[in-house]
Amino acid sequence: MSLLATEILTPRYELAWYPWAVQYFFMIAISYSALMLSLPGLVFRSERFMPLARLALLVAVTCTLVGPVALLADLHQPARFWHFYANPAPWSWMSIGAFLLPPYVVLTILYGYFAWRPALKARGAEGQDWDAKLARLLCLGNWQTPRLAVIVFGVLAALFACGIMVYTGAEIAILASRPLWNTHWLPVMFVLTGLIAASGLVMLLNRLMAGANSDVYRQGLRVILVAILAAAVVAATWFIQGITGYSPSVQAALESVRHNPDWTAIAVWALSAGVLLFLATVAMLRAPGWQRWAWLLGLLAIHMGWAFRWLVLMEVQTVAKNTAGYYHLAVEAGSYGLLGIIGTFGLWLAVLLIIDILVPWRDVNNARSATY
Amino acid sequence: MDFARRTLLGQMARLTAGAALMPFSSLANAGINAQPSRREGDGSKRYAMLIDLRQCIGCQACTVSCHIENEAPLGSFRTIVSQYEVENEDTGDIATMMLPRLCNHCEVPPCVPVCPVQATYQREDGIVVVDNEACVGCAYCVQACPYDARFINEYTQTADKCTFCAHRLDVGLLPACVESCVGGARIIGDIRDPDSQISRMMAEHHDDLMVLKPEQGTSPHVFYLGMDERFVTRPLADPAIWDVRNSEGKEIGYEFAGH
Ligand code: SF4
Ligand code: SF4
Repeated sequence: MSLLATEILTPRYELAWYPWAVQYFFMIAISYSALMLSLPGLVFRSERFMPLARLALLVAVTCTLVGPVALLADLHQPARFWHFYANPAPWSWMSIGAFLLPPYVVLTILYGYFAWRPALKARGAEGQDWDAKLARLLCLGNWQTPRLAVIVFGVLAALFACGIMVYTGAEIAILASRPLWNTHWLPVMFVLTGLIAASGLVMLLNRLMAGANSDVYRQGLRVILVAILAAAVVAATWFIQGITGYSPSVQAALESVRHNPDWTAIAVWALSAGVLLFLATVAMLRAPGWQRWAWLLGLLAIHMGWAFRWLVLMEVQTVAKNTAGYYHLAVEAGSYGLLGIIGTFGLWLAVLLIIDILVPWRDVNNARSATY
Repeated sequence: MDFARRTLLGQMARLTAGAALMPFSSLANAGINAQPSRREGDGSKRYAMLIDLRQCIGCQACTVSCHIENEAPLGSFRTIVSQYEVENEDTGDIATMMLPRLCNHCEVPPCVPVCPVQATYQREDGIVVVDNEACVGCAYCVQACPYDARFINEYTQTADKCTFCAHRLDVGLLPACVESCVGGARIIGDIRDPDSQISRMMAEHHDDLMVLKPEQGTSPHVFYLGMDERFVTRPLADPAIWDVRNSEGKEIGYEFAGH
């Protein structure tokens, strides 16, 4: 790099997207990934995947409820959200997303509701306790849960989940202004890291709320293994496209961060975290005795999914567009920064606990084979 | 809370009044991320700017007059003159390079199709503007602009950018930056009128004109005369000096702390 030119006057550019954006992308990715993980058990009715499915469903519903809140908070004019629907712009990925998100949320909730209703009904029949009364209330009447409802809403929600995958990825990947974003691989990486994080969260909740079921650990580890291998291939392809000059945009992306020690550190971290996750996953799959520690690996997987989004959405914004320089990333305390991050996780935890109190989600599989 | 509530109700009222509603005819059949149709402005004109860098002394008069005219918040700028200190590799002589930056009113503006609510749009005369009554402040356009020409205005909480002072042009005045330019370096005009000063200068200097980041395919309509081509794309310059860190990696001399 030539050090012969020094920029002596330039305005200080603020980050335009706040950490709220990271929270939204994280929550929604976990949501669609968990939804997919719930399909084999709940929609395709494979008994083997039932324990995984009930946890995945819990994760999907809770994250689906919280994600859009973070999205709204990232708007600088949240009260104007209705403009999305009054002034549609079908040529904008963000506008398309605004039309995909509400049906996705509603369908996921309906999917969860119909999966949980038989268990709710069973609890409602159990006497006069407050939770039985509440369960009867939530059943909205004494009708039989239609057998097909779970399948229909599950399939529809999965279709919209695919839409969410495409739009969240494309929205960022089309931005040629930032070479680090402008690659077809970005949407793929979002999905793969989403799957990793969702499996991680399922494994963690498996330990905390579901008695450490060994099937769940094994299946979660397998998903992580496949996803991390695919992510490694994608990352390597992206890198090779850049250094060989096959993709000018990737080349520009690599060039933009080549000499920056912070980015070198990030690359080293990402590589080590990935390798660690891979090795530990392989080890646990080969030595099932170690699988009782899989929830710890789950924490690492969650971290990867979140940190990937932080890197992509926040760190990339610090690469200056007009000079070879970098902007300073300052995450302020307060509602736009740290508080936003903690607040989103806090809200998720609250939603999780409320659902845990209201819904006998653990009984999904029991009730399924019993009364509908 | 009460304030937010009132704002929301105010918005709803406006919705019922239909004021912010786009005509559905404006939903042209543009493909995803393709340019939607232009609206408003005089289609017989195409405004553009030529900046004669040979005349620019880097006094920032344009920066200041724009700031006052357009009431940008402190620390945010619709136009600014980037200044570089360039050292001659052989002689060690130091020269200063001035680069006035503003919105390029691109012919293919990537900031327009991304806007999810049609708040950012291009007028028929080529000027790219933001309807800040419609803008939801998603900042997608800020990300999409390759020139950092946009920012979120901290007062209005909506996207803000240079408009070529459309409000002045529309009543026959020159933009504030052009009016105040000491060296007469900024020339604005209609490039569809062959007799305008800008058209004549563009014809005369055709081969010497440059635009910023041509590889982005945005077809900028701010043309630079007397440009050093090393500054056309992201120049290999050390970052702004208020972002320089000392040997411990600590920032020194940060000017806008708190803004
Ligand atoms: S310079 Fe940026 S803000 Fe201006 S029209 Fe081009 S892309 Fe849009
Ligand atoms: S910030 Fe405003 S003008 Fe920019 S894309 Fe979002 S809604 Fe449109």
